Amino acid sequence: MTNASEVLSSIQSAFPGAVLDSRVESDRRLWATIDSKKILDVCKHLTTKLNFDHYSGSAGVDWIARKEMEVVEIMASHGAHQVVAMLKVKTPRENPSVKSLTGLYWNANWYEREIWEMFGINFEGHPELYPLLLSDELMGAWPWRKDYKGYPDLTTGERAVKISTPEGYTEYHIPPTPAEVEAGTVVTVRLKYPTLREREEKEIKSDSEMIMHLGPQHAMVPGPFLLDVLVEGERVHKAFLDLGYIHKGIEKIMENRSWLQGITYTDRMCYVASLSNNECYCGAIEKILGLEVPLRAQYIRVILEELSRIQSHLIGTGEFLTLIAGVGYAPWQYMIIDRENIISLIESVTGARLTHTFVRFGGVRNDLPAGFADQCKKVLPYMKSRTEEFIELFAQDPIYHKRMDGVGIIRPDDAKRMGVSGPPLRAAGVAYDMRKEDPILVYPELDFKVVTGTKGDSADRIDVRLREMLESIHIIEQCLDRIPEGPIKTEVKVPKKVPAGEAYYRVEDPRGEMGMYVISDGGDKPYRVKVRGPFYATFQTLTPLLEGTYIADAVAIAGSMDGCPSEADR
Amino acid sequence: MLKRKMIKNFGWPLKTAMRETEVTRLYPEVMMELPENERGIHELDATTCIGCASCARVCPNSCIEMVHFKFGNPLKNKKMQFPQIDFGRCMFCGLCVDECPVECLKMGKKVVMAGWERKDIVKSPDFLSTKRFTAKEVADLEAEAKRVAAEKAAAAAAKKAAAAKEGPAKEGAAKKPAKEGAAAANGPAKKAAAAAKPKEGGAA
Repeated sequence: MTNASEVLSSIQSAFPGAVLDSRVESDRRLWATIDSKKILDVCKHLTTKLNFDHYSGSAGVDWIARKEMEVVEIMASHGAHQVVAMLKVKTPRENPSVKSLTGLYWNANWYEREIWEMFGINFEGHPELYPLLLSDELMGAWPWRKDYKGYPDLTTGERAVKISTPEGYTEYHIPPTPAEVEAGTVVTVRLKYPTLREREEKEIKSDSEMIMHLGPQHAMVPGPFLLDVLVEGERVHKAFLDLGYIHKGIEKIMENRSWLQGITYTDRMCYVASLSNNECYCGAIEKILGLEVPLRAQYIRVILEELSRIQSHLIGTGEFLTLIAGVGYAPWQYMIIDRENIISLIESVTGARLTHTFVRFGGVRNDLPAGFADQCKKVLPYMKSRTEEFIELFAQDPIYHKRMDGVGIIRPDDAKRMGVSGPPLRAAGVAYDMRKEDPILVYPELDFKVVTGTKGDSADRIDVRLREMLESIHIIEQCLDRIPEGPIKTEVKVPKKVPAGEAYYRVEDPRGEMGMYVISDGGDKPYRVKVRGPFYATFQTLTPLLEGTYIADAVAIAGSMDGCPSEADR
Repeated sequence: MLKRKMIKNFGWPLKTAMRETEVTRLYPEVMMELPENERGIHELDATTCIGCASCARVCPNSCIEMVHFKFGNPLKNKKMQFPQIDFGRCMFCGLCVDECPVECLKMGKKVVMAGWERKDIVKSPDFLSTKRFTAKEVADLEAEAKRVAAEKAAAAAAKKAAAAKEGPAKEGAAKKPAKEGAAAANGPAKKAAAAAKPKEGGAA
């Protein structure tokens, strides 16, 4: 098994002088600053020689005091070893530019586009540096830089000026006030790039092709995103994705809130998975602080996260069924009825139904209430029998299988290359689960297996989710048997100011690999929080998956991904 | 074979209809049962609140404002400042409850807070407080507070006098009691402090 120091020595021997600075945090985490000229070679070396076949994302950091910017590439492996290499590339703050990794890793595309639009770091060799999350008005303002002055106040409708477009529509434009121009909160010089519409229309090759909008308001996923498909008859030739319709700037908001207040914002990234988001953020800060979580608190966290996974999978599966028109019956409502039991269980502990704000640094907020175990023992066997029924229902329904088999197939090597995570990846047959790969809390002591599929199609993704629910029930039952008495919060006083440091923490979200990269500069607020969301990674694969399918299948494929645009946009 | 399986699956709605499952909530006629830990509308124990404003500082949405309220404990809460919560902005995260050093703020099972106007859902301590003193108790406590303040002022004056006796070298020490007197003057024990001041001067 490879560990972090071996990886470091391998890089150092292959490229003498390329590693400018390094830190081996543990066997599983390597932090290294790489010479920006050699980053491509180092990444190639990591991928070909050291099995780093999982490009997990990248983060931009603006070090305004040091007058430089940093791009942190997060590299991991699909099961060959458990090292996560955090490779930093530095670039001066004036005219920042680094080499693009899109040539090596297909999925680097979106991560780099995001960094470009937020920080203004240019990526040399990137094929399509167009805005992803931001609207066109904000392009060029570089809002996540530390010296950004803030958004202009566009809340007053009185300032709006009516414009009639040549097509006959009425649009409203809000011109900036002179004060805002002076303060630098509005962009005065516009960047030049083709808009989404121009890019789409360029792809139209013949008269028989047309562009069809699915979204931003579409029943396909709970949340707005724009999916435009270029169709010829019923066939989809090309798909275009535009997101950012609910971009909330959570990462930037968290930089302006205290460490504790940040927990509430992690809830709101994805409300069906708020407990694992809490866990991810708190875990990263516990890592910086070096806090030990009491055993009872660890068990409580695991129980609640698994309950949360069950309810998330229920809603994901149920919603998928409404999208493919229920196939003659409507199991969505059965799943929602069953989900209510789980939600009530979670609510009895946390006090809230969806946005829990439950995990704290070094513990949890509440202890389990009296009678929780009994209630669980009533609900879980019922859920187990129901889930088994659901699996049977799906397995034996001929209409469902005629509709779903072979739709949206992702092959294992494609899934790895595209950086898919969670159930879509496991349905392709890759047993990649953060609970095994990067174990946290008491997961190593628990007995569970990673559920995998064989075909990687839409039906398989649903099947993997349903069977994962059984595993989650199994985990909770074990936890309830083993949970010890004791404190639920660490006895060490959690300081208001977190000492300077950085950490990358990964958890298995219901949707896949969720990672948070937290930097502290020793203040009472985070210096930078980067959220590597699971659906962001899965979302990106939608466009290549849809090519060559039928329009009707587009909904089935997108729905089977269990999407959450809120988390992708952040 | 195909038909039999399909008919079996169509039997599901029937099976579910036979079970007595509550699906529709009969709200507002029947309120659903809420757990003990429910994070609903805040409950303020005005008898113990010390007016430290920890809750207001920790609130991520800054929806808590400290306002004056009569029926608190003037002994502990000298300025009589109590939290007023804007439920239009509150997201019920419960950080204020965790942060409270005297555990006087809790979240209860009450969840109904609808109003016709925006100002209707800004709830004052009068609405939030579940425990409070009566007007008579407050008057007694105020008298007590005045007495304590007067005692303190007297003690301070005595200290000052002692310091003055010790000699001119302790000028720095002499300044301190004067500051304390000024701080006391801001509180509800204003009169007491004012009454104490001439005494102080006399003693000096």
